[in-house]
Amino acid sequence: MSAVRYALRAVGFALFVAVVVYLPFRISDFRASEFALIGVYFIAILGLNVLTGYTGVISLGHGAFMALGAYTTAILVADHGMRDLWTIPLAGLLAAAAGAAFGLPALRLSGPYLALATFGVAVATPIVIKKFDGLTGGSGGINLFEEEGITGLPEFIVTLPGGKVLSFNDWLYYLTWTIALVLFAVAWAIHHSRFGRSLRAIRDNEIAAAASGVWLASHKTLAFSISAFYAGVAGSLLAISAFSVQPGAFPIDRSIALLVGLAVGGLGSLAPLAAGAAFLVFLPQWAQDISKAPGVPAVIYGAVLIVLMIVLPMGVGGLLRWLGRPLTSRLYPRS
Amino acid sequence: MRVFGVIALALALSTGAASARPSADPGLSSGEIVIGGTVPLSGIAASYASVGRGAEAYFKYVNARGGVNGRKITYKYVDDQYNPAQTVQAVRQLVQQDRVFAIFNSLGTEHNLSVRSFLNATKVPQLFVGSGATTFGRDHKRYPYTIGFLPSYVGEGKVYARHILRTKPNAKIAVLVQNDDYGKDLLAGFKAGLGAKRRNLVAEQSYDPLSTDVSSQIARLRSSRATVLLLITTPPFAIRGLVAANRLGWRPQVYVNQVGGATNIMRIISATANPRIIQGAITLISVKDPSMPRFRNDAGMRLYRTIMRQQLPRGDVNDGFHVYSMAVAYTFVEALKKAGRNPTRASLVRAVANLNLRNNPFLIPGVVVKTSPTDHFPLDQGQLQRWSKNQWNPLGKVITAK
Repeated sequence: MSAVRYALRAVGFALFVAVVVYLPFRISDFRASEFALIGVYFIAILGLNVLTGYTGVISLGHGAFMALGAYTTAILVADHGMRDLWTIPLAGLLAAAAGAAFGLPALRLSGPYLALATFGVAVATPIVIKKFDGLTGGSGGINLFEEEGITGLPEFIVTLPGGKVLSFNDWLYYLTWTIALVLFAVAWAIHHSRFGRSLRAIRDNEIAAAASGVWLASHKTLAFSISAFYAGVAGSLLAISAFSVQPGAFPIDRSIALLVGLAVGGLGSLAPLAAGAAFLVFLPQWAQDISKAPGVPAVIYGAVLIVLMIVLPMGVGGLLRWLGRPLTSRLYPRS
Repeated sequence: MRVFGVIALALALSTGAASARPSADPGLSSGEIVIGGTVPLSGIAASYASVGRGAEAYFKYVNARGGVNGRKITYKYVDDQYNPAQTVQAVRQLVQQDRVFAIFNSLGTEHNLSVRSFLNATKVPQLFVGSGATTFGRDHKRYPYTIGFLPSYVGEGKVYARHILRTKPNAKIAVLVQNDDYGKDLLAGFKAGLGAKRRNLVAEQSYDPLSTDVSSQIARLRSSRATVLLLITTPPFAIRGLVAANRLGWRPQVYVNQVGGATNIMRIISATANPRIIQGAITLISVKDPSMPRFRNDAGMRLYRTIMRQQLPRGDVNDGFHVYSMAVAYTFVEALKKAGRNPTRASLVRAVANLNLRNNPFLIPGVVVKTSPTDHFPLDQGQLQRWSKNQWNPLGKVITAK
């Protein structure tokens, strides 16, 4: 990439950071909590993108790694009195280890078979959590609200010079988005590294990649592990922001939602994935605002998704790439 | 971020964290009181949506007659898809953005547990929780802003145990139980009720609420040679369980818990399995069942059908959850009347903890909704029913399920 394009990228990233920092000053307290949730989904989708977007491996089971991260945080805070913030990297690492452990045998499967195996993991997750109720609190889950290790509390209010009141929700927002931006930079670095190029080579043609000297097994396992790390961190943040974890919070829908967010954001894109995360948070609410009649919100959700995939098959990222192309290439389509 | 937190905390302490408290609590104006809650409107538990719609219909009926002290009641119920994580988000939206006065009639044990600490820390009433888990009534010292509604599952379990001990003291008992807090609570009550006769309970099988089949559990229960079968199940699993039992030719004396034994469910079992398998089945009810012929000319049920016709014409009149939710909404309206002309969250919670309502039109005659500062179980009475001639028939008097 030329120096100019690097500079443009840097400016773009700086703008992104500026928007993230400034946003809470423009939105209501509650909206900040919604944007914090978008940050959580953004992290998980960034991770899934490393696996599905770059490597071309479809996982329907990333909700399970989120659950693992969430429970790691909850158990460390509730049973071991750890401070919540320190549990975030641990949750990520444990999920990464689990991702590697799952990735190794799963490598024998490919395409839809691997997707089905991950689907099985996601389906089993809530049941497995309930099975070990001594550790996980069973179906009632773990309540973190009155634990010492929790940093932010709902009473948390600070008035900044200038009159802006920072609330607990703003705290959650800055926590998740600081981590999201760091992990975004990491994902960008992966994308532009030799490792990232190898992953894309695997996606495009496994045999050609192997013939060019890419060791498939190690690359795929590592991609699995990295993406599980992201999911674990996202799960941990989810536990911190909800003050609790329950097995019911990790149904199969959550895993599928991540894939939906990735598709809406655009496979293989980076910043546009935030749009996919926003889609996951806002569309269900919007559908409910239109009508609460039985089944209607679900139909609206599905219809919007179908239309979106027809209009924007490459997601928001694809739209932005298309807009960024020279005008002439739009006048004379090459394909 | 930790540094940020520490600085923030220091700032908060030094400035005294100006918590600008307005004169009235949020959600209250001279003409309106806004309350909210979560109900599954989609997903696996969407059939519970009636619990939101019935209450809404009752509030509309009250509003059409001038509301309470000139205030109309606006009830915002939000879909949480029966996912506790969604409940957390939805309740925060209701409290922080929609600024509701109280959370009311939210459904589900785990779902209410997931927001109980938050609501008590922010001093928002969490009223008439849609769960019979004992903790909602028992732990009122720790969570003074929370109160349940249903008879406690533990109390219900004890009632079945006592009835079995009285009628069949030596019968072997098998239990099918849902593997969650609700199931465990009811089973614990049942075991406590058996007391010394605990050995009569010869088989116990659980199922996951996400599963779809219980026939292997039923087969194992049958092999225990039990002659009494207690179903601690939601409606779909009551149906599946008894269909499976019928297929095996098993004819135990059936006890089915209140959650799973509505008349319309029993009629489905009767039609899909065999009328004989539920012949003489026993359950406990506290809420009037719209399908019971003996309530056809009951004043309360006439009111119910009028409200359904006027406010919820497309709703299923035979759906017992509508009656249940109107019973809850009625109790809320009565509590609100007692909370003073200009209620506060605190005065509403006080009123809720000092109820003595004898004439709730939607509850079985004789059932009293009674609370005190030390008794946060509004509904702890019910009446046993026996199934015969394709309907529930009362068995004995109104009893206390504690």
